[in-house]
Amino acid sequence: MPGLHVTTEQRYSTLLQQVIFAPNLNAREEFLAEAFELGRGALSQDAIPPDELVAIHHNAILCFSQKNPDMKLCDVVDLLTLPLIEMSMAYGMSFREQLEKQYRALLDKRLQESHRLEAVGTLAAGIAHEFNNLLCSIIGFSELAFEGLSDEEPAKESIQQVLVASLRARDLVSTMLQLARKNSGLPSEEIDLISEINSVIKLVDVREKKLEINFSSGVPNAFITAKPGQIQQIILNLCINAADAMEHCGTIDINIESTTSDECLTGVGESAICITISDQGTGIPPEVQEQIFNPFFTTKEPGKGTGLGLSVVHRMVEDLGGRILVESRTTGGNNGTDFRIILPFVDKDKRGTSCQKKCSLYKAHNHGG
Amino acid sequence: MAHILVIDDEFQIRQLVTRMLETDGHMVTTASNGAEGLRLFQQERPDLIITDLIMPELEGLEVINRIKKNNDNVPILAMSGGGHHCRRDVILHVSELFGAKAVLPKPFTRSELMQAIVVALS
Ligand SMILES: Nc1ncnc2c1ncn2[C@@H]1O[C@H](COP(=O)(O)OP(=O)(O)OP(=O)(O)O)[C@@H](O)[C@H]1O
Ligand SMILES: [Mg+2]
Repeated sequence: MPGLHVTTEQRYSTLLQQVIFAPNLNAREEFLAEAFELGRGALSQDAIPPDELVAIHHNAILCFSQKNPDMKLCDVVDLLTLPLIEMSMAYGMSFREQLEKQYRALLDKRLQESHRLEAVGTLAAGIAHEFNNLLCSIIGFSELAFEGLSDEEPAKESIQQVLVASLRARDLVSTMLQLARKNSGLPSEEIDLISEINSVIKLVDVREKKLEINFSSGVPNAFITAKPGQIQQIILNLCINAADAMEHCGTIDINIESTTSDECLTGVGESAICITISDQGTGIPPEVQEQIFNPFFTTKEPGKGTGLGLSVVHRMVEDLGGRILVESRTTGGNNGTDFRIILPFVDKDKRGTSCQKKCSLYKAHNHGG
Repeated sequence: MAHILVIDDEFQIRQLVTRMLETDGHMVTTASNGAEGLRLFQQERPDLIITDLIMPELEGLEVINRIKKNNDNVPILAMSGGGHHCRRDVILHVSELFGAKAVLPKPFTRSELMQAIVVALS
């Protein structure tokens, strides 16, 4: 009975929405109970297959967490899975396992995203904050100066120009923040590692005033396929870790080279690019090294690290078809850590056309504005 | 015209807001942190408080919280440019929940400040 099937599902997902938007706790409890009853009935009559029930919850959680970005994810998940968990008590072990798996995956995805936001967003927001205060003075004082001048004064027009420019800068800052917030759903494209790395260095420079970053490249350009923001996040996380390990004072060396070494190429393909990020920090003892890529593994004080940075980096590098290698020294005056990331190169011919496309786009843009 | 207490840790912003308000005929007192702001509030009983939200020593949110806990119904205008760990729109929204009557994102123009003051005093 496909007709009934759809309506039960719809009723169920409406109930879930009512749970979230319930005006008070009592109403919320009632909707939860109703959802539980409906779900249990539907399950026992096979009106909604377990898979789909899970999918409805999945969608509901995504939908609500998108609509309420400031609501804690674990609260959303807890709330919306309550009727499901109660229902699943009555059902077999396999269903319960399946549920757990799906929610784990969903949770991981959100945590990864929130961590990405944290890494890029923290730096972007830090800059934005300072910019906002500076711009506040520039805009405000030029307005006051503008009003204080009579129309005959030649300086009046100059100040108006300052005002227009600073208002444009204000727009730019808010656009930058928006970009930092949402770039996850974008499709992959060919990305120039060199310019990506340069943009991260600029971000880190503003925050880490006692830190120096040396960047050298053994290749004139290095195109790889990735989602916008992905490379930045990888480099950013590694730089933040390096800065932490050196107590925010010292030099980080970043180097990119094309590589042919067998050790590096295993599983990556014939031609690859290697990014090395080296610090002279504390180094990582061997027993710790085994765990650094585990989610939530951290040696930092509470509040200083979530232990998600490297697990996110690891997953992203894998998504890109690459590998990540660690080499670390904890003793002697030579202590420090090298992270090497090996990524597949973009095909040479393809690279040519995409660059041409980009150049002509850029020209068109410049002529336009 | 109103007596307004301006709390901001940045000297330039205090100066700017003071100049804008005085040009409009208001009387202004300034404080460079939340604790000083609270003290001046008790002493001078202004008609309006304009406070930054993220400050060292005592945060603007805490200032709002303490004033509202005391059942003081002085209107408060919260302003913020965001911070390293919080988004501007979020912290402004939170300040409203704490009891700020109007909010003003930084950077602002003079007319935006004036509009926010009208809302706060209404
Ligand atoms: N360059 C490095 N030098 C020394 N130790 C490191 C370095 N990079 C990572 N580590 C170790 O690996 C641990 C895990 O790193 P990871 O980036 O996953 O989490 P975190 O930095 O502790 O927290 P988060 O990145 O979530 O803020 C760190 O706590 C630290 O002990
Ligand atoms: Mg980290």
